Amino acid sequence: MLKKVGSFSSTEANGAPGAQERFRGRNTLQLPNLGNCLIWQPMTPQDISNLIVRTSMKDRAAFDLLYRQTSAKLFGVCLRVLKDRGEAEEALQEVFVKIWTKADRFAVSELSPISWLVAIARNHAIDRIRARREPAAYIDAALDVADPAPGPEAAAVAGGESGRIYRCLDELEKDRAAAVRGAYLEGESYAELAARHDVPLNTMRTWLRRSLLKLRECLER
Amino acid sequence: MTRAEDDGPESGGDDLFAAEYVLGVLAADEREIASRRIDADAAFAHLVDAWEARLSPMADAYPETEPPIRVKEALDRRLFVAEPRAGLWSSLAFWRGLAAASVAALAIYIAVPYLNPPAEPPRLIASLAADGSDVRYLAVYDAARREVGLSHVSGERAAGKDFELWMIEGKNAPVSMGVIPAGQTARMTISPAVQQKLAQGAVLAVSLEPTGGSPTGQPTGPVVAAGDLKSI
Repeated sequence: MLKKVGSFSSTEANGAPGAQERFRGRNTLQLPNLGNCLIWQPMTPQDISNLIVRTSMKDRAAFDLLYRQTSAKLFGVCLRVLKDRGEAEEALQEVFVKIWTKADRFAVSELSPISWLVAIARNHAIDRIRARREPAAYIDAALDVADPAPGPEAAAVAGGESGRIYRCLDELEKDRAAAVRGAYLEGESYAELAARHDVPLNTMRTWLRRSLLKLRECLER
Repeated sequence: MTRAEDDGPESGGDDLFAAEYVLGVLAADEREIASRRIDADAAFAHLVDAWEARLSPMADAYPETEPPIRVKEALDRRLFVAEPRAGLWSSLAFWRGLAAASVAALAIYIAVPYLNPPAEPPRLIASLAADGSDVRYLAVYDAARREVGLSHVSGERAAGKDFELWMIEGKNAPVSMGVIPAGQTARMTISPAVQQKLAQGAVLAVSLEPTGGSPTGQPTGPVVAAGDLKSI
């Protein structure tokens, strides 16, 4: 049940297995030369895991490096959900405060390191918009947001894990798949989605629950 | 006309509640309940993780965007510059602060020759170092003069080798700023393109290269020192 890192997530899983094996044989806490792995070699999931573990031991250099390696992705998450630069900057700061204080939780998570970090950022950004928005005040804003998620073709080309989830989304009715994507990527609430798709809130709830169950069934097929 | 249409969030069972939390559709109060349960209930946390794992490939669609350097600066202030209160002399934060202050004082000392025309763009400094290497440089970026001033703190270059200075911005390939002239201090002129990246908080790094610099235009030897530029 506690399988660790390097387990899934498209971009990470197909990294060179040889390199990962090498790292596994080593004491996880020794990153040989911070300067060397610092910049121009892209980091493996194992490297990111090491940095999180070292961060949990309050190693500032590791934390700085973790920030450098992952802040662009996490800022992308905050921006997309919050749609406000100033607020996204503040959120990103809070996300890294959480990472600094809660890095020890990573050890008991079953997620790959990047998925774990993205989950922290997404959940934090979503909590922020829930706290910020009064229901009904945001509907117009939600309507204006285009959905830049890759279409089915692009996703099929992308292949891998990411391609698989988009293929499974394609098995859903179009508007429901769009609702799932909107909810995940933008953090839209049931209320927002119901307004956007012009259905009662409980209908939207039923749609999405069924969609989630179908998605799971498809992914596990 | 399913039951679910009339029921609250719990009615679909824990697994669906976990799924809805991960998808992000719940209202604020429901999210709070979920997040409390994640902390208190390992079985529920496991369900949440499983949904995070299932849906996480969708996160590939988030584009990477470099945050401005002020975010990291504010973060560092928030996490690492605690105001000393009781027990000043035994406070770790105090001693850390003192160490930081001495570095800053040294930086100002080194920066003084650059400080002539008073009002212009901010100066950035970086302490360049790396684990497993005794090479240290202090770098001061002077935007007005389009120069990076380097003070050699420690570490010798091996015979037949040179130190080369690089600028790295985000995950882009390093850009050479030239071979560092031997000596205690050195000044290196920089191009406008590099200058702009530096102002946005690029990283400086020093690599060990054959005499005359990297033959390929990209670093070929180990990074012996690196660091972030910070404003002073």
